[in-house]
Amino acid sequence: MESLNLIKPELLTLTSEQMTALMPYFWMMAGACLAIIGSVLQSMQPKWVVFVLSIASAFLAMVSTWNTLGHPPILLFNGMMVVDSYTRFGNLLFIASGVLTSLGAFRYLDREKIHLPEFHILVLFAVMGMMLMISSLDLIVLFIAFEIMSLCVYLLVGFRRSDRKGNEASVKYFILGGAASAVMLYGAALLYGATGSLNLSEILQYAVVGNDLSIIFVMGAWLMVVGFLFKVATVPFHMWMPDVYEGAPTPVTGFMTTGLKAAAFATFIRVILSLGYGRGMIESLQAQMHDLIWVIAVVTMLLGNIIALTQKNLKRMLAYSSIAHTGYLMVGLAAGGMGAPDYSSVLVYLVSYAIMNMGAFLTLTLMSGPNDEGLMLNDLSGMSQRRPWISFAMAVFVFSLAGVPPTAGFIGKYLLFYQAVQSGETLLVVIAVLCSAISVYYYLRVLVYMYMKDPQEAVGDQRVSLWSKVAIAFMVVLTLEIGLIPSGWIEAAKAAISHL
Amino acid sequence: MSQIQPVFFYFFAGVAIAFSLLVIFKKNPVSSAFSLVMVFFAFAGIYALLQAHLVATLQILVYTGAIMVLFVFVLMLLNIKNTPIDWKGTSLIRIGTTVGVSAMLAVFFIVSFKKANFVPASGLFSPERVDEMGGNTQVLAELMFSEYILPFELTSVLLLGAIVGTVAIAMRKNKRGES
Repeated sequence: MESLNLIKPELLTLTSEQMTALMPYFWMMAGACLAIIGSVLQSMQPKWVVFVLSIASAFLAMVSTWNTLGHPPILLFNGMMVVDSYTRFGNLLFIASGVLTSLGAFRYLDREKIHLPEFHILVLFAVMGMMLMISSLDLIVLFIAFEIMSLCVYLLVGFRRSDRKGNEASVKYFILGGAASAVMLYGAALLYGATGSLNLSEILQYAVVGNDLSIIFVMGAWLMVVGFLFKVATVPFHMWMPDVYEGAPTPVTGFMTTGLKAAAFATFIRVILSLGYGRGMIESLQAQMHDLIWVIAVVTMLLGNIIALTQKNLKRMLAYSSIAHTGYLMVGLAAGGMGAPDYSSVLVYLVSYAIMNMGAFLTLTLMSGPNDEGLMLNDLSGMSQRRPWISFAMAVFVFSLAGVPPTAGFIGKYLLFYQAVQSGETLLVVIAVLCSAISVYYYLRVLVYMYMKDPQEAVGDQRVSLWSKVAIAFMVVLTLEIGLIPSGWIEAAKAAISHL
Repeated sequence: MSQIQPVFFYFFAGVAIAFSLLVIFKKNPVSSAFSLVMVFFAFAGIYALLQAHLVATLQILVYTGAIMVLFVFVLMLLNIKNTPIDWKGTSLIRIGTTVGVSAMLAVFFIVSFKKANFVPASGLFSPERVDEMGGNTQVLAELMFSEYILPFELTSVLLLGAIVGTVAIAMRKNKRGES
């Protein structure tokens, strides 16, 4: 037999540090596999088995991530994947959003009579995709992780099979998402052709070396950026979003606005940095890219906020407001291209947005009637008298989304805009502040309906599951905690970007 | 290094483009599926021209052999009738814009590739190097289980997730969980 020519022996083993770094991924995978087996058990109710397994494995994954928080970055699999503090920060966020989705969806799925155990398994897989995506340093791994996440979310969006809107949303998202993946893949291929490497750090070396970049590289970079812009839904690529957000089951919409958006954005930052953005990319391309992001930020904020003004359906309103929030995040990205890039404020914003929006969608899940009805503004009239606690929670989240102190939303916006002013983006910040003033109108309208209108008849199931109570209470506390004592979170974000 | 024969490349590329268009415009879904088979054959030809014989073979075995047969089976089981494309609903302006924008994009790509005067960065595995190390199959096999083990394994995670989801979406109602 011929000897093996290529295999480097060091690639066939994992050191103990590498094993430790991989533990969160193993826990998630083990949880998913056990849950698949558990879901076919005849003796017990499969939904409970799978629910408990997925929560337990997510909890273990969180603990093992938490235990390694301060460790140095660890390269894995020939530099294809890195577990550094940025990854760990993101992982905690994604796992938390997955757990909260499962918790919030439990009663919802029972009510809609679609409680298949597969729901929780798909959430686990999607979270795993996000974790792998943020830790990938290689365009192939990045793409596969991206697809793991996207495929699971397409399926989750279409989970209400008998619902026409749900089906439409799922197919629409699938087709447009597939097109975006193709664009991104073409970009990756062009980058490989230009640089001869798929590794992000080698691409960065090529980009900053100072020689004039070939047009192939420039085109590849643009196509990659466009693929990500679709996933985070900035304005020219936002068309799919309101329909998908409205058609998806409410907890899944919450998952999409928090986990998926945070994962896409965090990975976007890693990729755009590796293309040399704000890190010594040649001047002309840097200027082009910065200007484009600037324009996209403005258009996204304006369009998202203005269309949200006219929405009567709460889910749709939050979808447009989510577009607006993407615009604020793009402000951070535009600022990162100027001066010394510091993305800690973007991370703090991502976390606070994830927390308050997850809370808002969990609360919406409780408010909605069968088939996701009862989410029009009128249906909220006098909610505060019928369900004081839920109304209070919603009020906290809405204040936070509007950016009123002392909530997480205020701190997030404050840091983001402060950072942008420091980098000399004053005009952009002025526009952003004006936009967020517009947003106060439609956010506060929700409160007006809940607290100042005459009560209406109750819609749907008024019972609240223990899981939802725990999850929502947790979100309320976190929203206020970030608003009042943000220093710990800012430190964590600063530590997270230190290895970026 | 053996250059790609331009004649063959243009032949295969032309076939691929022509049949891709047929996939979209054919009224009968089965002929669309078979046009797709031709597209895959053309791709296999291009891979072979690039000295990637294993990939070319796999392309034919997996795509044309397995996946397309499955496609045709599904079409047969679903018993889809010929559904003519209804152009009435779409306005002429929309068709014009679509065609115009795609033509512009194509021209843009062609011009920029022509102008680029571009020497592709040579990757690690040139055809000579691959030959030296024992040919396509051996190199691919060794790499897949050492350097590229992570993406290789992740693909199976992807498939597992997709299977679970498909079961959830496609299962009959009132089987379980739907009390």
